[in-house]
Amino acid sequence: MKQILEVRNLHKVYPSGTHALKGVSFDVYEGEFLVVIGLSGSGKTTLLKCINRLEEPTSGTVRFLGEDITHIHGKHLREVRRNIGMVFQQFNLIKRMPVINNVLAGKLGYMKTLPSILGNFPPECIQEAIKNLEIVGIKEYAYERADKLSGGQQQRVAIARSLMQSPKLLLADEPVASLDPATSNSIMQYFEKVNKELGVTVICNLHFLSLVRRYASRVIALKNGEIVFEGSPREIDEKWFKTIYGEEAEEVEIR
Amino acid sequence: MLEPELEFHPREKILKKRKNQEKINLIKAILLDIFFVFYTILVLQRAIYYKVILDLRELPFSWTEIGLFLVVSIGIGTIWGLSRTSLGARIMGLAEETKSAKLVSEIFAWALFNLTFISGWLVTKISIIDLFSKEGIEGANRIFSSLFTPEMGIFDDALFAIIETIYLALIATLLSIPPTLILSFVTARNLMKDNIFTFSIYYVLRIILNFVRSIEPLIWAIIFSVWVGIGPYAGMIALLVHTIAANAKLYSEAIESIEEGPVDAITATGANKLQIIWYAVVPQIVLPFLSFTIYRWDINVRMATVIGLVGGGGIGTMLMQYQGLGQWHEVGLIVIMIAIVVWIMDYISAKIREAIY
Repeated sequence: MKQILEVRNLHKVYPSGTHALKGVSFDVYEGEFLVVIGLSGSGKTTLLKCINRLEEPTSGTVRFLGEDITHIHGKHLREVRRNIGMVFQQFNLIKRMPVINNVLAGKLGYMKTLPSILGNFPPECIQEAIKNLEIVGIKEYAYERADKLSGGQQQRVAIARSLMQSPKLLLADEPVASLDPATSNSIMQYFEKVNKELGVTVICNLHFLSLVRRYASRVIALKNGEIVFEGSPREIDEKWFKTIYGEEAEEVEIR
Repeated sequence: MLEPELEFHPREKILKKRKNQEKINLIKAILLDIFFVFYTILVLQRAIYYKVILDLRELPFSWTEIGLFLVVSIGIGTIWGLSRTSLGARIMGLAEETKSAKLVSEIFAWALFNLTFISGWLVTKISIIDLFSKEGIEGANRIFSSLFTPEMGIFDDALFAIIETIYLALIATLLSIPPTLILSFVTARNLMKDNIFTFSIYYVLRIILNFVRSIEPLIWAIIFSVWVGIGPYAGMIALLVHTIAANAKLYSEAIESIEEGPVDAITATGANKLQIIWYAVVPQIVLPFLSFTIYRWDINVRMATVIGLVGGGGIGTMLMQYQGLGQWHEVGLIVIMIAIVVWIMDYISAKIREAIY
């Protein structure tokens, strides 16, 4: 298996003094569906943002496809970011724009500044956008305003936007945390589809263990900025659960 | 697994930072206390002792006295601040949580407030007698009765003057838009904080804009009426300058308070800075910008009448002339017309702003 991401001894200290990551190291291999679990505030979001450098790591290294990307900047950084898609908990669409423009925004890294600002997307880009909307099953909403859509539909737009980047790696930061259980499951199925059918490696932060067991090929668990568990989802039993989520925690089943 | 490549001790770093922060806060607290004590002594001496007890008309002033007060307050403020029972220490969050420390700072704060209120009252020379004296009431009566019987003979002149005022305000608002847009982006903290070069641009421009904004349009009108001559042009430039400074602040605050999420999302696609601004920032600020600009036109019409008083042209200049001649019937007509126009502008701008949201 080819290694796609290598994270070594990653630290992140925020200016406020919060020590969010304390020496995190792990590897990700091509085609994996890696799920990161842990309580809120355990450093999951910071970890993802340090990978595509939305946050600057304080120390440690991140290697993407064998290349050290911890300190690159400018054009080089933007070219690396093109290959790493990202989906967020709050969808982060441009609310006042039509769905199709939101999807096309995923292509910005490949476009020259002037045509992209004038909105001159080449026809093949637009076709690709429609195709990606078809993959997530909301082609018919292409010309609706993004904020007219439901939460689940908006998240599907966000997935389509990240697919425009033709990513090698897809980061998903609690993509279903603001959705209801039924919609959560359907969104996770789209991630599975992207992972299995398009061959995109996925790193996904999740809360619900039932979803983790159903979709993850491997799991790492963060607690207070440190990795406390690494292994297959089947290995997470009652004991591990208490270690990760604390003694008072009790598993709730969602279907 | 590889061994860590970098020796790193964040905990010590954090502790050191916290200690430094505490030191800075203590210095701030002491400075605050020095100011409070100095202020108290000054007000007690000048407002309470000279004005009330001695009832002096002209207050004596000497630098040595003030210097002495300053030295005394530095002494008291420092000792008090270091004891951590002072108001300054409480404001900076360093005070001891004992009952007596709490009581001391509460009493001192209450005393400061009352002292300020009493001396404010004295300085303003509030007098019920002046408001209800016989001659006073007669004078007010005379003016009010002529204001309510306006002279319609100058209606056409006044109409043209007020149209001039509206146009002047409109042009000032329109011309302000392009420079305000540019300035608002370079004075938005979240866009400029990334490196030292852009941050220093941000900082310098902020200072300049604050300075320009702190000078009222009335003063700008006086400056420009000397510069380009009395008339609507001077009034327009005065409004333009102030509008740019005031709206750049409002616009940049709108930029600073946008949702960060879409910015993260567009950044993650590999877009460059301009693309990020165009796709993630601009769509979020178009409406507030429009709303501010329309509201500013409304404000500018009102201000244009005021700066007309100092030679900014339009209805204000006309009002000034008739007021100087004591022709109160004419003044009455002008005031009524201004009131009507301001009311209409207010209504229209409110309706437009409602409609676009």
